[in-house]
Amino acid sequence: MWLALRRLRWARRVAATPLQACWRQPLPDRHRDWRAGSFLVCDGEMSSLDPARGELLSLGWVAIANGAIELASARHQLLASERGVGHSATIHQITDRDLADAPAPATAMAALLQAAAGRVLVFHHARLDLAYLNRLSHRLYGAPLLLPVVDTLELERARQQRRGHPIPAAALTLQACRARYGLPAHGAHNALLDALATAELLLAQIAHRSNRRGRT
Amino acid sequence: MADFLRQTLPFQELPAAALEEALSALRISYHVQGSILEAASPHPGLRIVRSGAVDLRDRDNTLLDRLGEGESFVVGGPDSSQHPARAIVIEDALLYLLPAATFHRLRQQNRAFDRHFSSQRSRHLRRAARHRPPGNALQQKLRDSMSTALLTVAGSDSVQSVARAMAKRRVSSALVLENDRLAGIVTDRDLRVRCVAEALPSSTPVAAIMTPNPETIDAGSSLFDTLLLMTRRGYHHLPVTEDGRLAGMITTSDLILARQDDPVYLVQHISRQDSAAGIRNLLTGLPQLVLQWQQADMRAQQVSRILTAITDAVTVRLIQLAEAKLGPAPAAWCWTAFGSQARAEQLLGADQDNGMILADDAAPEHAPWFAALAQEVCAGLNLCGYPYCNGEVMATTDSWRQPLARWQDTVRRWTASPSPAAVMRVSIFFDLRAIYGDAGLCTALQATMLQQASNNTIFLAALAANVLDSRPPLGIFRRFVVERDGEHRDAVDLKKRGVLPLTDIARLHSLAHRIEAVNTEERLQALARERHLAMGDSRNLADALHCIQQQRLQQQCRQLLRGDKPDNFLNPRGLPTMAREQLRDAFTIIDQAQAALRLTYRAGLD
Repeated sequence: MWLALRRLRWARRVAATPLQACWRQPLPDRHRDWRAGSFLVCDGEMSSLDPARGELLSLGWVAIANGAIELASARHQLLASERGVGHSATIHQITDRDLADAPAPATAMAALLQAAAGRVLVFHHARLDLAYLNRLSHRLYGAPLLLPVVDTLELERARQQRRGHPIPAAALTLQACRARYGLPAHGAHNALLDALATAELLLAQIAHRSNRRGRT
Repeated sequence: MADFLRQTLPFQELPAAALEEALSALRISYHVQGSILEAASPHPGLRIVRSGAVDLRDRDNTLLDRLGEGESFVVGGPDSSQHPARAIVIEDALLYLLPAATFHRLRQQNRAFDRHFSSQRSRHLRRAARHRPPGNALQQKLRDSMSTALLTVAGSDSVQSVARAMAKRRVSSALVLENDRLAGIVTDRDLRVRCVAEALPSSTPVAAIMTPNPETIDAGSSLFDTLLLMTRRGYHHLPVTEDGRLAGMITTSDLILARQDDPVYLVQHISRQDSAAGIRNLLTGLPQLVLQWQQADMRAQQVSRILTAITDAVTVRLIQLAEAKLGPAPAAWCWTAFGSQARAEQLLGADQDNGMILADDAAPEHAPWFAALAQEVCAGLNLCGYPYCNGEVMATTDSWRQPLARWQDTVRRWTASPSPAAVMRVSIFFDLRAIYGDAGLCTALQATMLQQASNNTIFLAALAANVLDSRPPLGIFRRFVVERDGEHRDAVDLKKRGVLPLTDIARLHSLAHRIEAVNTEERLQALARERHLAMGDSRNLADALHCIQQQRLQQQCRQLLRGDKPDNFLNPRGLPTMAREQLRDAFTIIDQAQAALRLTYRAGLD
């Protein structure tokens, strides 16, 4: 509800942009069963952890519908860079040369918004990815994304707090969260593979949530 | 993405285009323990277990199979006779589904893919194939095993000059060439039988005693064919040709050494090396060998025995090399292994625990020789992958390199006033085995230890307190207690919390009852035989040790496969339910044995 109200403020600015098209889709019903929800799980690779200085280099996403990840929806998009990847290349293995032929950020963003229409966005540690995406959205459409978001990291933090477990930061990394649900280790650092890993984590979290409710 | 899935899913047989089709059809879902998949469940098709475990049952609920990571199944289906009726998730599972329509289409279009899935029965074959031992060594081509550094001589060369050349090159045969063509072969045996025994002058031309026009074999032949030919004709040497030209020579000992995967030959190879670097090169293949043994279902204690035999061989060879360099020992002495090497219970990544016992008549001026030898051997072991001991339990440490009488004094001192530090050392020190030299010295020291320890209830009580210090990792309700933080969060240290307490228990009983055996299993057997331990307790402890060692070995193999350095940490969550239960039982047995030990050795003290 709040999301719809906040969008009103920006409605005029986003007219005739991909963002407006995305907003036109009805928001997912918050009261529906999680298991039947539609999600778009995303991950981005950036050239810096500071959104003010870095750039989004690539985006990966995959959709969840009716409780299953559909690999047909998986996409990996490189984004043309203006400032170069710098030292971050050692982490994500994306080099300036890879980005030479990449489409403009606007193209990638439009594709993301098309996929996200009518779905809840999912990130692991949403704050960082959203900071980048909102900056980009402001630049392209003059407005923030204002899309419904779920953060698997926050879900995990809440779950651990409910159980009274202390939570060191390292215990909330994607890898550590996955391990807690018996999900296999994944070593890759690529936006799409990370998105897939996050999607699997979300499925596990949902399964254990509904399982707990079923029992009590 | 395609690469990633090709590595994790059984799609290796698919051509690129078909793989794309399979990928875009995949659906991934997560199922909690207890979920059931039946023929009537939505989304029929091939399900691949990415993680977790699934039981397959038929209509009568009989268990057909238990599947783990990487295995796949189809529930129900048109020919349900071939497929299980139900799949029950026994451990939270991540399943990749290839929808039935795509699955059938891909099977029709790709024969290899079809064969892969043709029936549930074939899955067992696949499992066997996945663990296929590397090709039989005898099927290798000759050219990889032959020696190419050939000694060639002319027919007119004198027998003596040829014999000299052979001695210098340390080879047992020479090839006689005439106009670049192989004219004959002369071997050690020919020199002996046809020359020396016949009293021919040493100036005789070699052509007179050679075997003319010897049989040859092509370099492309298999070792098996070569061996067959040589056995049939009684040859020990056979020239090898490639494209009709002389290319090398194969001997019976080359053929034996070609079987490198056999530990017996690895040990033999080690004893032939002339430097620590040479030994290290041989040992680089060791982790791979351990993997093969484990995949061939070799039991952990056998693997330990072989690994220890290899460590022994390396140690002996390094000592021989050091002696060759330093000259013969000035007095009698014995190289002694301590800890896991002494017990023959090593796995990968063991560090060195060793010492030297010198005869009491060794004079002070002999000390530098022994110190220099210790330096050489310990440095060599370190180079070969047995890192220096953190606790300095090494022959290079002065207190671990002493005359027998001084060693015996140390034992008396430690047992008389068991300080915590002394008790800690005892756990390494009281497991000892002679590796090289005068084994009598080692036996004498062990006799002193057993005599001092068995009479001394205060010392035994101190040892017992030390044993009781490390509890098995079980909390109330038999839940696993895992490391709370750090690098090994959520994991159990199998060595520290399992193997060591169990070894400590066996050692304590053995010291109390003067059992000479050092290997834990042998100690447990001896204790039962002499009725110091109930037969059932002895067997339970042995089983517990095997179970934990087996998990430790498997964990190390998994780490090797992932390219990680093997350690002793295991996350019990990652285990299939049955293995986890067994591990839990093993720790419970240790816990009970500790309780019994408290009553025996510390009654009234705690």
